[in-house]
Amino acid sequence: MMAAVGAPEVITQLESAAKVLMAPPSMVSTEQRQHAEHVFLSFRKSKSPFAICKHILETSKVDYVLFQAATAIMEAVVREWILLEKTSIESLRAFLLTYVLQRPNLQKYVREQILLAVAVIVKRGSLDKSINCKSILLEVGQLISSLSPTVPPVLYALLTYSLYCSLTHEDGLRQIFMMTMEVLQEFSRRENLNAQMSSVFQRYLALANHVLSWNFLVVLLPLLLFLLLFMLLLALTGGDSLGRHYIAMFEATQNVTLKPTESWREALLDTRVMDLFFTVHRKIREDSDMAQDSLQCLAQLASMHGPVFPDENAQISYLAHLMEGLLSMINGIEIEDSEAVGISNIISNLITMFPRSILTALPSDLFTSFINCLTLLTCSFGRSAALEEVLDKDDMVYMEAYDKLLESWLTLVQDEEHFPRGCFVQPAIQVFNSYIQCHLAAPDGTRNLSVNGISSHDEEEINELQEDDRELFSDQLSSIGMLGRVAADHCIPLLTSLLEDRVTRLHGQLQRTQQHLMASSDLGSVDRKVLDDLYEDIHWLILVSGYLLADDPQGETPLIPSEVMEFSIKHSTEVDINTTLQILGSPGEKASSIPGCNRTDSVIRLLSAVLRTSEVESRATRANLTELLSPQMGKDIVWFLRRWAKTYLLVDEKLYGQISIPLSTAFGADTEGAQWIVGYLLEKVINNLTVWSSEAELAYDTVELLVTLVEKRERANIVVQCESWWNLAKQFASRSPPLHLLSSSVQRTLMKALVLGGFAQMDSDAKQQYWAEVLHPLQQRFLNLINQENFAQISQEEAVKQEIVATLEALCGIAEATQIDNVASLFSFLMDFLSSCIGLMEVYSNTPETINLIIEVFVEVAHKQICYLGETKSMKLYEACLTLLQVYSKNNQSRKRSDATAEEDQYQDLLLIMELLTNLLSKEFIDFSDTDDVFRNQDQGTPASNRTVSAADVVLYGVNIVLPLMSQDLLKFPSLCNQYYKLITFICEIFPEKIPQLPEDLFKSLMFSLELGMTSMSSEISQLCLEALSPLAEQCAKNQEKDSPLFIATRHFLKLVFDMLVLQKHNTEMTVAAGEALYTLVCLHQAEYSELVETLLSSQRDAIIYQRLADAFNKLTASSTPPTMDRKQKVAFLKSLEEFVANVGGLLCVK
Amino acid sequence: MADPDLDFQTGESGASATYPMQCSALRKNGYVVLKGRPCKIVEMSTSKTGKHGHAKVNLVGIDIFTNKKYEDMCPSTHNMDVPSIKRIDYQLVNINENYMSLMSDNGDIREDLRVPDNEVGKEIESKFEAGEEFMVSLVSGSYLNEFSYILYLSAPT
Repeated sequence: MMAAVGAPEVITQLESAAKVLMAPPSMVSTEQRQHAEHVFLSFRKSKSPFAICKHILETSKVDYVLFQAATAIMEAVVREWILLEKTSIESLRAFLLTYVLQRPNLQKYVREQILLAVAVIVKRGSLDKSINCKSILLEVGQLISSLSPTVPPVLYALLTYSLYCSLTHEDGLRQIFMMTMEVLQEFSRRENLNAQMSSVFQRYLALANHVLSWNFLVVLLPLLLFLLLFMLLLALTGGDSLGRHYIAMFEATQNVTLKPTESWREALLDTRVMDLFFTVHRKIREDSDMAQDSLQCLAQLASMHGPVFPDENAQISYLAHLMEGLLSMINGIEIEDSEAVGISNIISNLITMFPRSILTALPSDLFTSFINCLTLLTCSFGRSAALEEVLDKDDMVYMEAYDKLLESWLTLVQDEEHFPRGCFVQPAIQVFNSYIQCHLAAPDGTRNLSVNGISSHDEEEINELQEDDRELFSDQLSSIGMLGRVAADHCIPLLTSLLEDRVTRLHGQLQRTQQHLMASSDLGSVDRKVLDDLYEDIHWLILVSGYLLADDPQGETPLIPSEVMEFSIKHSTEVDINTTLQILGSPGEKASSIPGCNRTDSVIRLLSAVLRTSEVESRATRANLTELLSPQMGKDIVWFLRRWAKTYLLVDEKLYGQISIPLSTAFGADTEGAQWIVGYLLEKVINNLTVWSSEAELAYDTVELLVTLVEKRERANIVVQCESWWNLAKQFASRSPPLHLLSSSVQRTLMKALVLGGFAQMDSDAKQQYWAEVLHPLQQRFLNLINQENFAQISQEEAVKQEIVATLEALCGIAEATQIDNVASLFSFLMDFLSSCIGLMEVYSNTPETINLIIEVFVEVAHKQICYLGETKSMKLYEACLTLLQVYSKNNQSRKRSDATAEEDQYQDLLLIMELLTNLLSKEFIDFSDTDDVFRNQDQGTPASNRTVSAADVVLYGVNIVLPLMSQDLLKFPSLCNQYYKLITFICEIFPEKIPQLPEDLFKSLMFSLELGMTSMSSEISQLCLEALSPLAEQCAKNQEKDSPLFIATRHFLKLVFDMLVLQKHNTEMTVAAGEALYTLVCLHQAEYSELVETLLSSQRDAIIYQRLADAFNKLTASSTPPTMDRKQKVAFLKSLEEFVANVGGLLCVK
Repeated sequence: MADPDLDFQTGESGASATYPMQCSALRKNGYVVLKGRPCKIVEMSTSKTGKHGHAKVNLVGIDIFTNKKYEDMCPSTHNMDVPSIKRIDYQLVNINENYMSLMSDNGDIREDLRVPDNEVGKEIESKFEAGEEFMVSLVSGSYLNEFSYILYLSAPT
């Protein structure tokens, strides 16, 4: 279009369009604006616009037009790359570079766009090595050496540009590195740069001078640092980073470590390099932005590893030099806020990256000074972090730095055995003490004290979404707990005495308050400040104690930490076991009032201190002081007890090489101590559930403690001997107050615990009685209710609804209690309910929350049990699910769902149905039923051929229901969309053979869903859909039916994937998934593929383009002709596809 | 919305109009009296004042008669009034001059209710004209002597 008119006309047209675009909104109409936009768009799409662009750049005075010309060049070069002669590309590049250099007054955005065009040319050229990197570097080098403070903007541009160049070549990279080092040297040599320049210019151009020197510092230096950092990162990836965008790489800097190749040895092991960075940092550290860059560079140097080190000695001296530099830097300065994170990164990197053998090989006084420095720094950052919290700062730099340092301690201490014995004890004590101090109130601690020593105490509103401290600070607490173990001799007694002291004070304070209340009986008149301070102290002391005494590993049996065990063993000779047991067994008494209390086991004593806290709490509730108590402290107590019980209760001597006598005497199997504790904990649970029903989180933590007590058979055996357990069970089963007040999730978990307890060892009478009192009332009440003649009428009454909901919640809880050895009886029990539940679907079709709960029961049963079920049982479940789906489908036909404003949670039922289907499908790859024949006595003699309903049938039936409901609007909800595509991709992968048998409508909408997912969803979904195509195509290949709908559909997908890869811009992440799909599809439809290629080629009128395209296509399939479904060929195809996409991708997008 | 003409025989059967319930035991989609009005709970969240404070429940409810929104906050241990809500399903037999003929499960017919002037009403009419068989449910709260009606349509059981 542009070629038809002469250059001056084009320029005039573009300039007037630019005027329109730049005009204020009120001056031009939308149509005019759109037209102007169109002018530029089509200009940029025009073919070979190079001559006209050059002309524009040389003649036009309109910046925006210049910008567009640069953009046009950039886009056209990439598009037409394979059509252009190398020499003309080179001259274009030279033209652009000279253009920028000769025009220092260009608008910044124009200049950057032109340099970007140059950079893109260089980058693209590097793909086929057609650009001479050396010569470019030489040009840049000359510019850098003629550096003067007056050129920073141009330099900035050039450095950006050379950055792109450096992408290509590791040699080039090193050259730039060396050049940068020279500049940095130069900079660091001019000791009094600012002062000197100021004094020279101050008399003449005070203001301008200021700006200039400021420019020099602010613009140039960060850039150099940035550049350097960037190169180091490149070195890490071996310089081979062509495919990736540099921005993305830069963003990744935080987590990338420096692993340069051997060729960097000379450059990076030169101690002057590191010194230079320390020097630079000292000079610029007051500028927070620059300081971050220079510290980041140092942190990168601290992470250096790999072949760059010729041997261990080199590594040792490198590290020693780094540490010396670091220590002298830290010791010589008062650390700025902006330096905290950077410094902690350096330390964390060197501790993580250097092998222990290197650390221990350091001169011992250097290592000691380093550890001392680290200790002081940690304590100091910790205090500053606490201050940040008091001031409620948005940017918690010290907190972040403190986290990093504590994490480093954890790394060090975990490898303690490599280091001299005891070398971390003193540091651990210091860090531990300072942590405790920061978290306790005055006078022992400094909590909430601001700088001037005034304590602040505000009552802020806290919503339910805020995480509990034990989660929020779990990393910190793990580290502190670990350090506490290292210095157990100091820390365990310290925690004990602090906690005992606080508990005594709390007890006294509560008593005083009670007396005060008896006098005035107005709760409002109580000053909570003293109480809240005590609660907060106790809160932190319990959290630290919990993290110190035990770990909480997911899924495995936690062991008593070896340090704690050793500590207890070490002192066991001085310990009087009877007194210890007495302290343990009398939580109602003050520990110090018991004679001989100094000769007790400290580990048990710490637990006893928590039990004392618990006892004060329980007694306060009995004295009707619940309102004065802290639910937070209540949570802390049960959290601790749960963590403790998992590790210490019924300690198994077989798991330990050495066992502490006090611990095994107090908590071992068959000990009175263990029985007493179980009883005590049970009472605590029951008391909490009664008193704290209004505190959902506390009730939940409490019921979790109960689950812990019964989920292990050995513990459960003791639990079921307690009368209070039976009372609890009966009380819950009869739904009598106050347990019915508990939130639904608590009730569900309580049910789970009660069921788990039922599998403990009891004589058969007891067992029968137990089930008669726990499960049967549930069933009985439920049956009585739904079998009432007028159930349909009363079903909507609130009381009835509540009963039904409670039953459904209980069923979910029962399903959750499934374990491999109880699945047989639980399954039978639940199956009886499932069919009744389906009946409820009808009754409550107008109450979505009840419907959801019913489906949830099925979801839970399928989730927890299907993997254990043998064939007959699975079939029963499939049948039940099928009926559920049928009813669901029937009810949905009359249900209105057209509400456009509906929220995501109104589609919870759909989500649950899809979850159910996915759970049923999971049987296909997680199946324990063969190896563990848990139904041995029940499943006998079921012939396999009787199988009437299969997972596939149910799932496909379900999909049949879900699919029509899943409108495109619904797919806009992320959770629904993800679950939906997860489900249908699963189906394609697991049952490709079922797909051709689907009813026509269903088949069509499934295929449509795939197409939609591929073309207009997120790249994640798109990838899922592409992955589903290969199994479908393979299925077709197996069947050999040439006109089946699936065969035809795959042909359509071939075209889609082909277009996607060849004609459209697509996410490069998807090339692999799309490539694999394409390859299988090509194998299946070779003729159609050739046709597609032919059509594409024939539409090219330009002979050169035709030839290049044809070559590219030939090359693409060269390694895989004829295409067969063979892995090796597929891999070869994928490899050539990458090249193909790079070569023709852009080309074909031209109009 | 309350219809003064409406006489609802099942409404005042002597059951108490409200009963108390611990605030924490209320559930979303359940009912509660907020600012003296019977409401369906549409939002429920908890918060506390200070780390060691007790939970407070924040409730948002929609007046079942007027659709007006009410909010309230109370300590989770406190008792709230819950209105007694009743629901009866009828089969729609006929519509005559905007009055519906409704048949209850035991065959009783009532013809005193107008087709409501809202979305549900429109749907009732269109379904009726299409000859579909369906149920109309009346929800009543014997509270403040008001009755709300026709909140749901359902498929025949």
